Amino acid sequence: MAERGRILRGDDIRADVEERPDVCVIGSGPGGAVTAARLVERGAKVVVLEEGGAFTRRDFDMREETAYPRLYQERGARATADLAFTVLQGRALGGGTVVNWTTSLRVGEPVLAHWARRHGVEGLDGRALTPHFEAVERRLSVAPDVLQEINANNRALWDGCGKLGWSRSLVPRNVSGCLRLGYCGMGCPVDAKATMDRTYLADAVAGGATVYANVRAERIGTDGRRAVEVSGEVRDPATDLPTGRRVVVRPRAVVLSAGAINGPALLLRSGLDHGGRVGRRTFLHPVVASVALFPRPIEGWQGAPQSVASAHFEERGQGRMGFFVETVPIHPMLAGTSLGGFGETHGEVLSRLANAQAIIALCVDGFHEGDEGGTVALREDGRARLDYPISPALWEALREGNKALARIQLAAGAERVLSLHDPPVELRSEADLARLDAAPWEPMRVSLFSAHPMGGCAMGGDPARSVVDSSLRARGLDNLWVVDGSVFPTSLGVNPQLTIAAVARWASDGIAARAG
Amino acid sequence: MFGRPRRHRERLLLPGETIGRRRFLVGGLMGLALVAGAGWLALRRREDLEGVGGPFAVLAPDEAAVLLAIARRVVPPDFPPPERVRVAERVDAFLAMSHPGVQLDVKRLLALFDSAPIGLLLDGSPARFRSASPRRQDARLTAWATSRIAVRRTGFRALRRLVCSAYYSSPATWGAVGYPGPPALHG
Repeated sequence: MAERGRILRGDDIRADVEERPDVCVIGSGPGGAVTAARLVERGAKVVVLEEGGAFTRRDFDMREETAYPRLYQERGARATADLAFTVLQGRALGGGTVVNWTTSLRVGEPVLAHWARRHGVEGLDGRALTPHFEAVERRLSVAPDVLQEINANNRALWDGCGKLGWSRSLVPRNVSGCLRLGYCGMGCPVDAKATMDRTYLADAVAGGATVYANVRAERIGTDGRRAVEVSGEVRDPATDLPTGRRVVVRPRAVVLSAGAINGPALLLRSGLDHGGRVGRRTFLHPVVASVALFPRPIEGWQGAPQSVASAHFEERGQGRMGFFVETVPIHPMLAGTSLGGFGETHGEVLSRLANAQAIIALCVDGFHEGDEGGTVALREDGRARLDYPISPALWEALREGNKALARIQLAAGAERVLSLHDPPVELRSEADLARLDAAPWEPMRVSLFSAHPMGGCAMGGDPARSVVDSSLRARGLDNLWVVDGSVFPTSLGVNPQLTIAAVARWASDGIAARAG
Repeated sequence: MFGRPRRHRERLLLPGETIGRRRFLVGGLMGLALVAGAGWLALRRREDLEGVGGPFAVLAPDEAAVLLAIARRVVPPDFPPPERVRVAERVDAFLAMSHPGVQLDVKRLLALFDSAPIGLLLDGSPARFRSASPRRQDARLTAWATSRIAVRRTGFRALRRLVCSAYYSSPATWGAVGYPGPPALHG
């Protein structure tokens, strides 16, 4: 039995530190945490670097003013460079799982088949992945939600789809003893959510891993063939500013699990652009949302935020981008920063927020010929820059998605439906749907979102088109693996956290064999 | 939130980007306006800046005044006034935690949005935003929100987002939106 490891925060690190482990894992989300736990299980000495803070349930006060600056990338202000998309992405020990709305779905087998056929991915099919899904679902207490317990916001999606005859399902959630407070996105205050810091990362620490929170990996140094050094900047947990201390890790292998935006940015800062492919084919599951006012209270701030989904529009025929439908929690800041218009227009919804209901359509990007998604590049000062040009095919999906959302809400009994355009488009019946056709479908004329950045370090069989091979090893570097959502060569068509964890578990055997 | 690209110079430049003809022209115009209006501003400044609050770590008092003027139009009429919610102080606190590049971008955007010559040039309204009538202020906000020039729409979204995140994240606004606040946990 290995000696127990520990978690060190920025304020524990009083002097520069040098570590010489077997493996340095960068990032503690589902990719990094699962990989770290599996490597530790096989006897590897592992050091994990996480730029976010280490929090416990007592830190989660369920206030937007605390949670977003503290637990999200760029203090909750991450976005595409033109601000067309707001990007909600977690930043904490445990990565996005700390703020994830708990939806835990498996990627569909047709997606894996597409990756094999079009991207030359080998060995990653439903049969290979199933045991890993089963294992992570057990460890993360994943079980479908219960219809009798869903909140009114999700009930409207369920009822609306039912009335329209559209497919609907109850979402599996990674919780145990959930009190349905409605604050998953601000950190679970009762430890009901099976986040990475409470599961796989805790397993890794119990087996001897050393975890550094508040340490931002700045650069990966190589000798041309191998990654030899990861240098990290220590940050003060209170201010998030650099303390001047450094953590330098000289490992035998590196696992990069920093997510689809910060990961490619770290590779680019390190001069590892793999022929310009790093940061290309970045996918977002572009989201359009619709807000409706109901004659009855919805109180979308309470209850499990995501219980119901509809995959009715997953396949929309040749050349058309599919979308899936889910719900979002309704809290004052999230609503206030998303609505179109201002002043009195804002007041019409915000003064009746208890009666507001909201659903989203998430577009499944990356599957069609010529759909290259967006890019992650570097700004002059080293920060990541995300751009996502919107193709005509995506505009069509966003528009049709918005119409489907409005129809669901009207079918469920909404009095008024409002789009997030500037100015908002208002619908009171199906007869008004044409107003959405006539709306300004242009960047920055309608609020768009992403909570699922993927791609940027695409896996694949062709060295000229991929950043990592089918074992997730970086091309051209013997001992660097990328294990997170960035390796997906397209988007997933489902919320990615569970699939990232399962793929990490699947890849970990190969990593252990070669890195050990 | 927005910044300076290295690899995307062919794209439209955003507020705060350092390089490009648009930037140079806008900067030049702003410079001229500052020189021409300096004397007048010196007389106006004192009363303009009354009640902006503070102290501020990042924002200058006149930048806080612009932000508050925007917030007064963005916030619904019957809601608590932005100064009572300390919107400028809350935005300042956000900026103080943000990357210096973000701070600079926001400061430049506020100057650009408030600028009288830019208002005259783009919207035919020759007043500074913060001293214009409410009707003119709404017109300028709408002009930016729906502009054919993409960078102005970006600018509008940045300003509205700053104001709304600072305002609606404050417990002082919960009553107006009918939000009871988070549940109390016992034990």
